[in-house]
Amino acid sequence: MTTPTAARPIPAHVPPEMVGEFSLFTAPGMAPTPNGDPQAAAACVHAGPRIFYSPLNTRDGHGTWVITRAKDQRRVLQDGETFSSHRSIFASALGEDWPMIPLELDPPEHGAFRSLLNPLLSPKRVMVLEPAVRERAAFLIDRIARAGTSCDVMNDFAFPFAVNIFLRFLGLPDDQLEEFVGWATDLLHGEPAKRGAAARTIVAFIDDLAAERRREPVDDFMSFIIQAKVKDRPLTDVEVRGIGVLLFIAGLDTVAAAIGFDLAYLARNIADQRLLRNEPSRIVLAAEELLRAYPTVQMIRVATRDIDFEGAPIRKGDYVSCATMIANRDPEEFECPEKIDLSREDNRHQAFAYGPHRCLGSHLARREIVIGLEEWLKRIPDFRIKEGTAPIAYGGHVFGIEDLILDWS
Amino acid sequence: MRILVHKEKCQGHARCWSMAPDIFDLDDEGYIVAGDIDVTPDDEKKAWRGAKSCPERALEIEK
Repeated sequence: MTTPTAARPIPAHVPPEMVGEFSLFTAPGMAPTPNGDPQAAAACVHAGPRIFYSPLNTRDGHGTWVITRAKDQRRVLQDGETFSSHRSIFASALGEDWPMIPLELDPPEHGAFRSLLNPLLSPKRVMVLEPAVRERAAFLIDRIARAGTSCDVMNDFAFPFAVNIFLRFLGLPDDQLEEFVGWATDLLHGEPAKRGAAARTIVAFIDDLAAERRREPVDDFMSFIIQAKVKDRPLTDVEVRGIGVLLFIAGLDTVAAAIGFDLAYLARNIADQRLLRNEPSRIVLAAEELLRAYPTVQMIRVATRDIDFEGAPIRKGDYVSCATMIANRDPEEFECPEKIDLSREDNRHQAFAYGPHRCLGSHLARREIVIGLEEWLKRIPDFRIKEGTAPIAYGGHVFGIEDLILDWS
Repeated sequence: MRILVHKEKCQGHARCWSMAPDIFDLDDEGYIVAGDIDVTPDDEKKAWRGAKSCPERALEIEK
């Protein structure tokens, strides 16, 4: 993660008593920390008010309102009219203004694009992809098991698993996997200069791919997009780019991070690890609890009008942060939110957000996590964090885990 | 028991369907099919769990 640039001045309409200390970038536990638990660290906000203003809560130094209660986040994320998702977060790194689609379009415009993409990643469609997902997990873990009694989960399993599945979905070659992950790492976690360079590289790659598929369509995602129609017209080049860029970056590191956090938890909690190994039918429910406990992203919306929200004077243009890791540890929503209970049934977590922008890839992500855990636990005996190592976890723009050395000797 | 389906609130999480695929029917995009659902006494527990799993509160249980 990177430290954001200097904070901007706090807007005059924000009452001084509503300014909070907490930020996903600078609060204790957010910097890369050996044996860190950034999601638990973020839960400290529940000791405070429902909403407060954090002066430095985006990578580029924007202040945001922070919504701490799940119920209020639901209200924000379900109301695209008042809280817009159009931020051009990617394009702005290039000094441009175009939306990633469908994430940065608001309803009703959003609907046509979402309807185009939904069937490609629907629950039923994901069932068809499942054998390939399982085969890939088994292949990687078999290789790890043959090689010894220790591995770096992120490099040896989580990334080559999640990224391969996603590249396959997009119809992209696996031999560029490391390069793609490098671009995503620079984009999501790099310094501003690196971010700009990575963004330009990704745009050029997506534009080239679209041009190639226009010349010669094949049976893949990009060929589908360039031949698709919304509202009876083909997509424009900028729309094709907006979709391509979003899907490319959305699939590259979130599932890998989730698998890393999940296996780190199981390595530290041997009773839970054995429970899931001995009774694998519990993994589906357990994966939901791990999604609740270790989500990785914050949603940011922009107010389209002045609104008084739970006592906060939100003004048009203000940023409003709905962090998944904060909602998922809300004591008004979850009984004993700090306790990780793999049998938790009442679990309406928001790891994939609420509202019309609910993560399009959530069904695939969820199955990858479940299958990854199933195949891992089937093949790897009691494992723990390797002695003398300490996985480094971090908060920020997208939460993650740098390395996870497990040992089962 | 009857489940009132607030179709306009559904965002396609499919948590209900994953709990009880025989009770909650999804369309090709993955959203709930419109129309309230009458539940047989045998299915009540599964239907209850499915309805209670909806992050958007799109499924309301009517006793």
